[in-house]
Amino acid sequence: MRAAAVDQVEPAINKFLVVAVAWAVPGGGHLLLRRVQKGVTFLVALTLMFATGLWLEGRIFPLGFDLSQPLVGLAAVADLGIGLPYFVAKLIGQGAGRVVAITYEYGNAFAIVAGLLNMLVVLDAWDIAEGRK
Amino acid sequence: MTSHLGLMALFSVFVSLVFATLMRDEPPEQLRFGAKLFAGFIGAGVLIGWLLYPLPL
Repeated sequence: MRAAAVDQVEPAINKFLVVAVAWAVPGGGHLLLRRVQKGVTFLVALTLMFATGLWLEGRIFPLGFDLSQPLVGLAAVADLGIGLPYFVAKLIGQGAGRVVAITYEYGNAFAIVAGLLNMLVVLDAWDIAEGRK
Repeated sequence: MTSHLGLMALFSVFVSLVFATLMRDEPPEQLRFGAKLFAGFIGAGVLIGWLLYPLPL
């Protein structure tokens, strides 16, 4: 199904730039492609979801693949899907995680799923940039 | 808010919102689809919770 907004003139933007922006800023790719409603929704929802994960004392898993802990590596890749908020959180000392907190696993689930959802949003932005949607 | 049900509901709100926005283009359609997804998440969570209630046997 094509968006109503598709009737607008599509801006000529490099699709690789769209993907890079879409990954770095949740919803940024859609905003670049003038899908403002979708872009703002993704920006607010995904950023809040990731922040909720941190508030629930979830952990931002470290990059670097340790064969003895493959799930940690996969969780780190999923966390990284959120883009810049991952690095901002690290920079301000968030995401250390408190294993004994009752909400620790919930926090991890929120942060990981926010990253994975942003990966889907990036794919959607790519489809729009390709003219498939 | 840190109850299991509250966090499940909050999680469902976020996921439903993103999926509805991804999969539908018009805001009224997004609202309807998002509400169905949210109801499905909560309904499935409660149902599975009750099914698991007798475990471990």
